[in-house]
Amino acid sequence: MSAPERRLSADAAGLAAAIERAAADLALAEEPAGFVVALEGEADAGEPRD
Amino acid sequence: VTDWTLEALSRAIAAREVSPVEATETCLARIASLDARLHAYITVDADGALAAARVLEAELAEGRSRGPLHGVPVAYKDLCQVAGLPTSCGTKTPDYFTSPHECTAVTRLRAAGAVTLGKLNMTELALGPFGDNAHHGDVQNPWKLGHSAGGSSSGSAAAVAAGLAVATLGSDTGGSIRVPAACCGVVGFKPTYGRVSRAGVMPLSWSMDHLGPLTRTVADAALLLGIVAGHDPRDATSSRRGVPYYERMLASPLAGLRVGLADNYYFEGVDDEMEAGVRAAARVLEELGTTVLPIRVPDPQPLVDVCNVISRSESAAVHVRLVRERPHEIQPTVRARIEVGFHISAHDYLQALRLRARLTRAFIAEVFAEVDALVAPVIPEPAPALETVKAGTVDEIVNRMGRFSRFTRPFNGLGLPALAVPCGFASDRRPLALQIVGRAFDEATVLRLGHAYQQATTWHREHPAVVQPTRTPD
Repeated sequence: MSAPERRLSADAAGLAAAIERAAADLALAEEPAGFVVALEGEADAGEPRD
Repeated sequence: VTDWTLEALSRAIAAREVSPVEATETCLARIASLDARLHAYITVDADGALAAARVLEAELAEGRSRGPLHGVPVAYKDLCQVAGLPTSCGTKTPDYFTSPHECTAVTRLRAAGAVTLGKLNMTELALGPFGDNAHHGDVQNPWKLGHSAGGSSSGSAAAVAAGLAVATLGSDTGGSIRVPAACCGVVGFKPTYGRVSRAGVMPLSWSMDHLGPLTRTVADAALLLGIVAGHDPRDATSSRRGVPYYERMLASPLAGLRVGLADNYYFEGVDDEMEAGVRAAARVLEELGTTVLPIRVPDPQPLVDVCNVISRSESAAVHVRLVRERPHEIQPTVRARIEVGFHISAHDYLQALRLRARLTRAFIAEVFAEVDALVAPVIPEPAPALETVKAGTVDEIVNRMGRFSRFTRPFNGLGLPALAVPCGFASDRRPLALQIVGRAFDEATVLRLGHAYQQATTWHREHPAVVQPTRTPD
């Protein structure tokens, strides 16, 4: 693996680790579309149920 | 004419004091005299602009007006598809992006009477906050040549600041409207995600991309937003919410509004003059009747990580052919930022999208239970020297890019409306800027705050030395 490739892999691994930590306690029902629901204000204020 | 606001020029055209052809010719003359130094434009369509202006002039002569934009010369970031003009997206390839349909926002502005002057320079593929471009020239900051105009909508901001267009459109995936607006001392508005259609615009990261106006005043931004906002069947993410008459809501009193001054993250490592300018602007908002209170916002760092994973993954998917087939044509820093996306797994991408939903819900619940709007700096320091930001290794430059856009990127992740407003000058005349962030789809409150601030201050009436105006009407 070349030096630039190693750097890219390391950058991606760093991001992956950060996401993994933050996502550890995500509710099962959490899905990407929850973002738009939150903006449009149609969401029940609470967290999605598992 | 070129130093006027959109509002003032519109009134003058309606009153037949200035004709659409005169306004267009004046802008074209200004471009001809200044743009060799500023590099704000990639394509100038003088013939097309004059032909459109003549048609609009004939319509006025027949007593027909398309509205407040009738005959007003504007220009577009060169990632908006405009019929008859190439769309380079800041790359070496003149027609890098093609679309079967023109950019919806451009079509709406043209229908409202705007004259298209041309296409504006930008950071290559909209990836970078400094406005440097190896293919089309580094956009120069009109307030201080040799300094960054900000990016990626560098030409959009420099053109407004220098009077090379009365208003422009830019795009914002991590700060690309607000950062150049802040560097160049103009207004830049990233509306709520879904408020303005991105159809006909080069995607960089479809989950984070926003389109919005750059203007000299908040009132002008309100006018433009009212025209380009609203559902578009060609953009599935565009909201079906109705569009208010923003310009009619600008003068509503501010009394009773609660404005939060971010107590954590947003003032860390900020230049002294920038911090003083933003805090002084908050005091002006308080004098105007708002209640300004310190607020601790949820830690933005997880959100920044989420933004990076999503935008790197999506931009790698969009631009894979260019990166794989012609990597030598791309600036090394731009290529490096895209290539990270090839190393991010589908698992991490999807987790980031799921996290974004939770973080957005939490931010809205926590922050907007306390305040109606949030105030923070746009950029950590005034426009840096181009020589400085381009120096060093690819890693060093990429890290520098991330640091410079760290106050804008969170609001792309959150999708909230965020406005950049000039709020003074550093001791060497580089502009300072304030960021005002509001609730989702509450662009009206953000615009009211920005407009009231501009009514109480005069920063937006000043012009860079490179383009001293002849006169500036109210």
